[in-house]
Amino acid sequence: MNLNTVDPAWAWSAFEPSGESPWNRAAAAHLFRRVGFGASSRELDEAVARPPDEVARQLVRGERASPSVARDFEALADTVAASNNPEGLAAWWLHRMLHTTDPALEKFTLFWHGHFATSAAKVREADLMLAQNRMFRTRACGPFEKLVQAVSRDPAMLLYLDSATNRKVRPNENYAREVMELFCLGLDNYTERDIQQTARAFTGWEVRNGKFKFNAFQHDTREKTIFGQRGNFDGDEAVRIILAQPAAARFIALKLFRFYVCDEPAPRPELVEPLATMLRENDFQIGPVVERIAGSQLFFSRLARGRKVRGPVDLAMNVLKALETTTNTKRLFSDLSALGQGVLYPPNVKGWDGGRAWLNSSTLLGRANLVRRLVDDSKDRFAGGDLAALVEKHANSPTQAVDWLAELLLAAPIGDEARNTLAEVAQNKDKPRGCANLVHALATLPEFQLG
Amino acid sequence: MSTRRDFLKAALGSSAVVALGAAAPRFLVEAAARESNAQGETVLVVVQLSGGNDGINTVVPYGDDVYYRNRFTLALEKDKLHKLDDYHGLHPSLGGFAKLVDERRLAIVQGVGYANPNRSHFESMDIWHTARREPQGRSVGWLGRYLDAAAKARDASAPASDLSALHLGGGQYPLALAALDVVAPSIRSVDQFKLQDGGDRRLREAIEKLSATARPGDDDLLSFVQSSTAAALASSRRLQDALGKYSPAAKYPGTKLAQSLSTVAQLIDAGMATRIYYVSLDGFDTHSEQKDAHASLLAELGDAVKAFVDDLAGHHHADRVLVMSFSEFGRRVRENASRGTDHGAAAPMFLAGGKVKPGLVGKHPSMTDLDDGDLKHHTDFRQVYAAVLKNWLGWSPAEILGGEYAPADVLA
Repeated sequence: MNLNTVDPAWAWSAFEPSGESPWNRAAAAHLFRRVGFGASSRELDEAVARPPDEVARQLVRGERASPSVARDFEALADTVAASNNPEGLAAWWLHRMLHTTDPALEKFTLFWHGHFATSAAKVREADLMLAQNRMFRTRACGPFEKLVQAVSRDPAMLLYLDSATNRKVRPNENYAREVMELFCLGLDNYTERDIQQTARAFTGWEVRNGKFKFNAFQHDTREKTIFGQRGNFDGDEAVRIILAQPAAARFIALKLFRFYVCDEPAPRPELVEPLATMLRENDFQIGPVVERIAGSQLFFSRLARGRKVRGPVDLAMNVLKALETTTNTKRLFSDLSALGQGVLYPPNVKGWDGGRAWLNSSTLLGRANLVRRLVDDSKDRFAGGDLAALVEKHANSPTQAVDWLAELLLAAPIGDEARNTLAEVAQNKDKPRGCANLVHALATLPEFQLG
Repeated sequence: MSTRRDFLKAALGSSAVVALGAAAPRFLVEAAARESNAQGETVLVVVQLSGGNDGINTVVPYGDDVYYRNRFTLALEKDKLHKLDDYHGLHPSLGGFAKLVDERRLAIVQGVGYANPNRSHFESMDIWHTARREPQGRSVGWLGRYLDAAAKARDASAPASDLSALHLGGGQYPLALAALDVVAPSIRSVDQFKLQDGGDRRLREAIEKLSATARPGDDDLLSFVQSSTAAALASSRRLQDALGKYSPAAKYPGTKLAQSLSTVAQLIDAGMATRIYYVSLDGFDTHSEQKDAHASLLAELGDAVKAFVDDLAGHHHADRVLVMSFSEFGRRVRENASRGTDHGAAAPMFLAGGKVKPGLVGKHPSMTDLDDGDLKHHTDFRQVYAAVLKNWLGWSPAEILGGEYAPADVLA
């Protein structure tokens, strides 16, 4: 079985645990890693005691989210944004990812941040970045059309794309182009004329004093022709026409597939089509599609498990959550930036390419060094004690420690030779050091880079 | 056999290589990769002078009275200049450059700029970084475009081993390196290339063993990560060994630029496959009390580059390394009322290394035929880029620069 031969009907049918693909701690760890940011040993135990479809649904829908925790995060964000320090805001977001009671929502938000990439390096205003971040969170699972319409009014995005003014005498095509190329359709699914006409529909959409403003004097009220439809369209109507193109649902479905299922190889169109159909028939609701993915046979199969190069944020969060520890997220932000994923600072409007592009000799060593630092940092606490005590609670021998940690941290299985080598690393008279070395060595495994 | 391209050309004939592209037989590609690591490809080291270097007080037109009339407090004494001929002299602090000129290892390209010069630091730096006069298409840099194109031509299944480019020394990430597909890391120091194993030999050996074993061949992604990890550990070890044993063939000054360049020399000598290094020297925005500040910046520049080139020569790398320095603009001919100079236009660029066309290239721009008080350029900076791309990096300049620019005659 491979991605080119897999039957789409089977792929998206509900996951049925089997001897080959059981519902166990490793399967639950995969679910938590992909849909959220990983899980502790206790969370895995709780998950496998319940049916997988129920666990997946609750996770994607955020049914266990606490509104009061969310309110606390929002209050904290206001304080951070008031000091106009976008890096502080990035640290706040990492803190939220780590401690949220609704990890799937933060994962969605990270997905949209990469999709509608906007960098604080150019926007510079923390309150605008925060407003955008909140907008992604609010609209993350809902109809995609509403999300694109909100993005089209988003001051941070418009400033980032130099579209803060769009006048009828000289329409700015920048935003119209990105709406088609990067946000909704992908290359080769529109013409230059569609872009020019769409730019006219967005004329008069401005940013004034950090707020969106519709300037009726600058709006071009004449007829436009977009994808063959004629009318005096405004930006919202243009978005509706764009999303009615057959390519739109395929484009978004493929992007979700790459984010939640696997980096490579590219799936054949028939495999993604059921997701695209679901989008089209369901008002472009995003949440249900992700729920379908996360509860599917394909998602729990070896075609998806460990088939992504995980990004720096995913990797760090997995380690912190699995080891039940915390860290200074300001420092973490700077480490993650060095590894290529500074949240709120994507490299360009395309966002992070992901996949193999995450890795080079500097980032591979840097990833292991980051894990070493997280483990060594004396300010960190592991489930309220030291790392050795946490490991000993779950493992009676070095080999058991290897297996326990591998289940928490690795998506791909490792061979016996690696297991033995790791057990030798764990074997150390200085127990805390042995444990730290073990986690460090695990973090250098090629398997560790996959998620 | 200096590059993989050359190797394939020699092995198959150039048209065959073009036709084969990424489908070149694996054994040839691998052999070529080994070849290039052993022999070393050409390397470009960009030294950015941020703030707008006063070219007129760098390469001084001392043979022109107009210079002395316009630089009433800043004019440099004729006797202290390093004279290049009876018109041009290098700033007294540029002793390092003067020696490089004597050794035929420095090219001074005069009058470099672009049409309708922009005098904003930000805009002009973007123009130099992206090689685009208009704001469109400025999300990628000129070197980034080259990196993307070169990466596309490489075998996609080859391990992500050494970095194709590296920004060193901290500070703002240069837009010049921004690419769509390739990520050129920015590191403050080589510590980021070290596995922090705390000197624990047993741990280090275990770690190397863990990634040394090839993973099942049918798992393409895992095989890629495994070979990349093994390569990363190997190059980090190579680097650590080199850093431990490396003995510079020149004495570097204690300045930040010199320290960055000395690191670059070690990386080159360690056999890293990195082809582009990028370092910066900031502080050239000398609007007031320019004299001492400028003198000290030029001393930092000249002495660091001189030590770097000497060091490379001592390790037999001088002929495959090219240093290129630029600034976003020069400065106004007439000094201002604060014993400083304001933003100008055309200025000289410097190219150093064993393969440059030594000495002055092009004339000093006229000191009287000015554009709004500034020197007029006669060489577009993209002509210098074109020469570097075509004759140094072996790439078609038009593709990268978005137009045809006649390569400047700067490389021997």
